[in-house]
Amino acid sequence: MATPAATAAPSVPPSLSLPPSQFARLQPHAYLLAHLCPPSASNQPSIRANGRAPSQFRVTSANAGSLTHTNGSAVVRIGDTAAVCGVRAELLHTEDIASWSVSQASGSNKRRRLADLGGKPSEEEDDEDTEEDRAHIEDLNLLVPNLSLSTGCAPGFIPGAAPSALAQSLSHQILSLLHSTRLVRADDLRVWYQPPNLGPEEPERHNEDEPMDMDAEQSATAEEKPREIKAFWVLYIDIMIISLAGNPFDAAWAAVLAALRDTKLPKAWWDVDNETIVCSDSVADARKLSLRGLPVSSSFGVFEADAAAGWRAHVIPDVTEQEQKGKKGSPERWILADPDGYEEGLIQERASIVVDKEKDGKTTIVRMEKNGGWTVDTEDLRQLVEISGRRWDEMKRILDQC
Amino acid sequence: MVGPTASLSNLSRADGSASFKCPTTGCSVLGSVNAPIELPARRDALKPEEATVEVFVKPGNTTAGVGERYVEGILRTMLQKVILGRERGFARRGVVITLAIIGGDAVERGDSYLTLLPALLQTALLALLSAAVPMSMTFSTALLAVTKSGDIISDPSPVDAKTASSLHVLAFSSKGHLLLNESQGRFDFDTWEFVRERAYSTCRGAVVAGSDGDIAMDEEGEEGRADGFIRETVEDHLHRDYAWKIDSA
Repeated sequence: MATPAATAAPSVPPSLSLPPSQFARLQPHAYLLAHLCPPSASNQPSIRANGRAPSQFRVTSANAGSLTHTNGSAVVRIGDTAAVCGVRAELLHTEDIASWSVSQASGSNKRRRLADLGGKPSEEEDDEDTEEDRAHIEDLNLLVPNLSLSTGCAPGFIPGAAPSALAQSLSHQILSLLHSTRLVRADDLRVWYQPPNLGPEEPERHNEDEPMDMDAEQSATAEEKPREIKAFWVLYIDIMIISLAGNPFDAAWAAVLAALRDTKLPKAWWDVDNETIVCSDSVADARKLSLRGLPVSSSFGVFEADAAAGWRAHVIPDVTEQEQKGKKGSPERWILADPDGYEEGLIQERASIVVDKEKDGKTTIVRMEKNGGWTVDTEDLRQLVEISGRRWDEMKRILDQC
Repeated sequence: MVGPTASLSNLSRADGSASFKCPTTGCSVLGSVNAPIELPARRDALKPEEATVEVFVKPGNTTAGVGERYVEGILRTMLQKVILGRERGFARRGVVITLAIIGGDAVERGDSYLTLLPALLQTALLALLSAAVPMSMTFSTALLAVTKSGDIISDPSPVDAKTASSLHVLAFSSKGHLLLNESQGRFDFDTWEFVRERAYSTCRGAVVAGSDGDIAMDEEGEEGRADGFIRETVEDHLHRDYAWKIDSA
């Protein structure tokens, strides 16, 4: 730690020499650059100021079931960034949904058929189910994530203040990712009711029917009595960032994922006599959510050697020029995985990739974002997707253990 | 195919303004830019040597919510990099960009802003040009959708966007750098490379920059290109503004 500081500021007289920590505060850009690009005389490897290799993530730990009053909860810690997530389920009666009777009239047959197949829906079924899932989860707002940064997690965020723009946009990102990955199955959130078949004694049915083929009609009613949805579970997903040291999105998303994997919904059914929903007390009756896949997010930041590159108009190289420079070796920029708080202050260009892996080990990209600069292009993104794939394996191991 | 329409300097009080209408998504955006202005409570700005870029997005039918905060963040990070915030007279001042969505489909809760993002970016760029804010480069954007069968459609309609398996917004600078990529939905990297290629050709055409750094201008080649559209809009506007001079000459 002491050497880069000494080499970067050799002309400072001994009486004014600074300890590395102060140099890091005064000249953050030069400090990180000296670590990443050590002078060739000293045989030091290129390493980040926090001792990590450029593509190395921080130590991650996850712990599920930490809160007792929630249906599912998790604490995820990535380095010094810690997120707590709690999932609370509440019932939404279909009679409280204003447009329910109208929207439900269409396509109720299809829904029943799909639901009847039950168990683990196969792949081809998934596609058919999609539209129904989307309609229920998105239109009825069954997932309500909220992220709070006003916990005193970092000096910049005043405790108890109104949600900052960052907190709001993180909440939105989580909701939008929950919707686009279709992580939660709508079928897990439905509470069904199967009206009992009262047979031919059902008075009005008997009278209205044309007396053509009574036997066939009876067997048909026995089967065709449609099940109805009586209520939905609404999942309130609350995330508190209790310590913020860079990269809040990865930590928050990992916490949401771990908490949803931990979530157990009590067995609920429609009580005809009381005309209400009743839940079972027994833990044995509760069932877990069956999530679709395991999308894992990894964020990256680009640290540029030339701090002025961002604003000097004439240094912007043409694409061809840039390629030639890249071939010459000695990169002018470093892509840092999982930037911490110190590095985030020096970074303008960011990339965030969410990947999922199928059973055959094939990597699927679920979301890919890149913004704030012009240095990252196809080749870099390809590498980042590879790194994210490796991160997926690591996160899966961590989440399976918790 | 009907191209987008745009006009510059519609508002008289703002330093610069532009309106933009995209026929395929049906959304129209009105943008205004005020720069450089004194921002109150900017004394404790994080980077005093640079101008602060602020972006406000106003949806058509509601007040701005979390989704708008998110898209404002995307626009801000991108435009901050393009605007030369250290030019004379800009340090410690503010560049305030206000974008109002005045037509088109309403944005639902939790919806990704991807279908509106290109229109918002184009409007912001045109308004910045109209306000003569110094920028290191201009850019052009493309919206593409990959259907379930693997076809790539550029400028998908709202219905196509809803049923698509993945949606991509890309922005390329006037020098050909990839400035912004926002992709959502399930896809693999090879698909994305095709999308990038397609986006590059819609934004910049197949024309490569000449050896003198000037883009080889071809009147027919300009047709349908996104960056050509920006150029034409500004040229038309300038032509109208300087009509008195051109006529007298």
